[in-house]
Amino acid sequence: MDLLNAFVALSNFVLIPAIAYGSQLALGALGVTLIYGILRFSNFAHGDTMAFGTMVTILFTWLFQSWGISLGPLPTALLALPFGILGCMALLLFTDRVVYKFYREQKAKPVILVIVSLGVMFIMNGLVRFIIGPDDQRFADGERFIVSVRTFKEMTGLEEGLAIKTTQGITVITAVIVVAALFWFLNRTRTGKSMRAYSDNEDLALLSGINPERVVMITWMIVAALATVAGVLYGLDKSFKPFTYFQLLLPIFASAIVGGLGSPLGAIAGGFTIAFSEVMVTYAWKKVAGYALPESLAPDGLAQLLSTDYKFAVSFVILLIVLLFRPTGLFAGKSV
Amino acid sequence: MNETVKNTALFALVAVLIIGTGFLQSWNSALFILNFGLISAIMALGVNLQWGFAGLFNVGIMGFVALGGLATVLVSMPPTTDAWAAGGGGVIVALLMGAATIVVTALVIKRMPAGWLRTVIVLALLIGGFFVYRWLFDPAVARIEAVNPASTGYLGGINPGGAAWGWMTLVAWPVGGLLAAGVAWIIGKTALGLRSDYLAIATLGIAEIIIAVMKNEDWLSRGVKNVIGLPRPAPYEIELQSDPAFLERAASLGMDPVTASTIWVKLVYAGLFAVVLVILFVLAQRALHSPWGRMMRAIRDNENASEAMGKDVTARHLQVFILGSAICGIAGAMMTTLDGQLTPGTYQPLRFTFLIWVMVIVGGSGNNLGAVLGGFLIWFLWVQVEPMGLLLMQAITSGMTDGSPLKVHLIESAAHMRLLTMGLVLLLVLRFSPRGLIPER
Amino acid sequence: MSGNPYTDGRGNKDASIANPKGGGTMSAHPGTGAAMNTRNAFLIGDSMTGGYGNGPDILHDCTVAVDAGEIAVIVGPNGAGKSTAMKAVFGMLDVRQGSVRLDGEDITDLSPQDRVAKGMGFVPQTSNIFTSMTVEENLEMGAFIRRDDFRDTMAQVYDLFPILKEKRRQAAGELSGGQRQQVAVGRALMTRPKVLMLDEPTAGVSPIVMDELFDRIIEVARTGIPILMVEQNARQALEIADKGYVLVQGGNAFTGTGKELLADPEVRKSFLGG
Repeated sequence: MDLLNAFVALSNFVLIPAIAYGSQLALGALGVTLIYGILRFSNFAHGDTMAFGTMVTILFTWLFQSWGISLGPLPTALLALPFGILGCMALLLFTDRVVYKFYREQKAKPVILVIVSLGVMFIMNGLVRFIIGPDDQRFADGERFIVSVRTFKEMTGLEEGLAIKTTQGITVITAVIVVAALFWFLNRTRTGKSMRAYSDNEDLALLSGINPERVVMITWMIVAALATVAGVLYGLDKSFKPFTYFQLLLPIFASAIVGGLGSPLGAIAGGFTIAFSEVMVTYAWKKVAGYALPESLAPDGLAQLLSTDYKFAVSFVILLIVLLFRPTGLFAGKSV
Repeated sequence: MNETVKNTALFALVAVLIIGTGFLQSWNSALFILNFGLISAIMALGVNLQWGFAGLFNVGIMGFVALGGLATVLVSMPPTTDAWAAGGGGVIVALLMGAATIVVTALVIKRMPAGWLRTVIVLALLIGGFFVYRWLFDPAVARIEAVNPASTGYLGGINPGGAAWGWMTLVAWPVGGLLAAGVAWIIGKTALGLRSDYLAIATLGIAEIIIAVMKNEDWLSRGVKNVIGLPRPAPYEIELQSDPAFLERAASLGMDPVTASTIWVKLVYAGLFAVVLVILFVLAQRALHSPWGRMMRAIRDNENASEAMGKDVTARHLQVFILGSAICGIAGAMMTTLDGQLTPGTYQPLRFTFLIWVMVIVGGSGNNLGAVLGGFLIWFLWVQVEPMGLLLMQAITSGMTDGSPLKVHLIESAAHMRLLTMGLVLLLVLRFSPRGLIPER
Repeated sequence: MSGNPYTDGRGNKDASIANPKGGGTMSAHPGTGAAMNTRNAFLIGDSMTGGYGNGPDILHDCTVAVDAGEIAVIVGPNGAGKSTAMKAVFGMLDVRQGSVRLDGEDITDLSPQDRVAKGMGFVPQTSNIFTSMTVEENLEMGAFIRRDDFRDTMAQVYDLFPILKEKRRQAAGELSGGQRQQVAVGRALMTRPKVLMLDEPTAGVSPIVMDELFDRIIEVARTGIPILMVEQNARQALEIADKGYVLVQGGNAFTGTGKELLADPEVRKSFLGG
């Protein structure tokens, strides 16, 4: 029974949060890796793109809430999500048109594009703060739990409770759907294949008659969708604050690099690697250990390896370890 | 237009902007802009060394600046004797133990043949070392932090004279540089040696870690409880205001003593900072035109050719990375000195990393003069965009009824114009003058 | 420092932020402004003079052509401008004088992509396949501009190169050198080109594989597609050639049928090693 309790506690505090967080990171990293593969630079504005898409979604959520529209037990934000994606697409396509396109035509070096993306990052960051302000916004509504601690305890009679938040369930389901759709698109459709071809060999793609501007446009649209979904899921699960989204840049980059830059599969693996490491290293294991170990061995302290504030350090150390032993990332990014 | 004339005109513009602030707003804010402008110029010099000379993409400037700030605390604050007695030795033993673990592990990795045995030993060393370290470290830290937590609760610095020995703060500046250089050496050794092309993400991560350490390790610098009231090299306003000689001079200039004292203090700082800037600028300029600087740029322009000619590219990159980071550390120490306090919570990458990048790019990467100009100009904008944005918003909303939600929102949001403007400036310069205002020659 | 400030990456090699592969290198340089018409052929690069960018001229009044149902081969010593002539015909070079005509139509002003649409197939010397994609996907991408059903074309390509059918689910980058060249040629054939241009198809493969590749090329030609190719192995290439062009320093030194050139004592002495 104790082992079962230990497992429930582990699921409650480590596995479920890590799976949700990992899905969010994976979606973010997919966006970064797509831009790296197709547009060939790291987009420092990605965190702020996520923030922008989420902000639009929040504004629509508020609008719907004021109209009295809701999804019942599900958060209204899901209804607003398509509008958020459209808003984000519009912004990215506009940015590409007035900013990035010029540098593509100049055949600018990728690092110049990175610096350009710094400028875009400032502008988007300013824009989001300007419109919605720098403060925390909570926009999750509907049922809070799929399974609450109390129902779980009543159902199983276990000492330890297990809670699954609605947002965690939604995160995982949405992420699975989005990722499946993305892979179907990239591997099965003509347009998706042309994107992979362009990422693989730009000159040959041109010779094959693939229109680069179209590939770039579709890439931005997909990235907008991925970024908004990732941002909204993160915001529902935790809360929305522009600065937090900017800070997500580090774990997202780490996920993309750990998985192998340019490899979509790697981005997902990287996202989960980083999320699990972060949660496991910063979790206080006292409870789990208390159940799992015999009394004499149970730890006195919290048995927390590192305080939560060091979660950046975790992404970073994982990154270092992977680069030391497998410099191309877990899934040797084909376009690196 | 002649180059010298153009450059002089650009710097004259900066001078006019700052002096104009003095006339239009107040001399206090003009000197505030000048002082931080001097510091920003120094940071920009450091980044220019890395990016302009060598093409190293460092996005962890914030970390080095923060290390400079930490050095100021460690050097200029008086030691907390009780805390040292309670746990100083324990912490030092624990840190040495941690360092020893890493050294031994590195030796094992280097000496032993690869294989499962090595992996097991390395893992055992690291995990065992970590637990022993925590076992030694945690109680010592708890004892230190228990010592008068409201005002100290940390080990303090090494300044035996306390506030009376304000000159110790000046010592902290080079120490800040050294501290930053040391950390840069570790990062450079790992990132440049491991795989030369992961420097950006490595620096981004390290900067966050440095800030996390400073926020959480209360025994070191009180974490988010901040260290306030740092000793300072300049006289205190209060003392000046009670100094008859000073009062007399202020009266002869027709100024009231309070304003006169604040301005005098700021002028003292400006003088100190200017001296540092001039020294570093001359050094950077000489480095640029020395054989070393030429080699740096040769490596930058064609790494393969330079490598083929027998240049040790990684070693050169490591050098320039350490030097540039050290300059940022010095600037960070100066900034904390000027603030008179260390507040780890205020270090944000947008302000301390990416803004410096804007300065370098706008000023002109590869040109020291350009970096200095960019430092002043962008800092001026950073400070002044907020009041200008407010004016703009008031102008826009003047037609609206008072208290309408849109008006309130727009005026409240004016404060966020800053980031927007910085991005716009960066994009405009990149587009229409990609080499910056004063291009590399 | 380079002339274009936007391409000055300050030597940055940071792969975590900037994809080291960078953008494409291919740029279109159509049009010459000085048309020439000296003779007729199915595909002809007529009296071309030009070089890269503002650099010195590499081609000097150079003419290469191929007629229907023929194999034409461009040979010559290293640095003679063989590949350059090929790129000029394909519109990837700053040509200051001359014309390119396909089937009587002047295509000098078309970009390389438009020339593909007009019916030219081009196989570059290097990076001529999508390494991360399967063989079949490579062929599909070759047919990208076709909106009709291309399954029979793919079947024809598989008939020509049976090994590709066997490996069609494998990533092209995992294949051997000779197989990769077959993928490259197959990809170019997918548009059903009116003419095929090959830039050193046998570069870097073993002699046995080279012989096999030549056999395949002859088979392709037998299906009725004229082939213009650049070859390093002059003797073998001229043996299968209907027409041969010997270029020296960017100009035509000798022109004739393959047999004539092989028999010419001058050509033998200078280029074929006696």
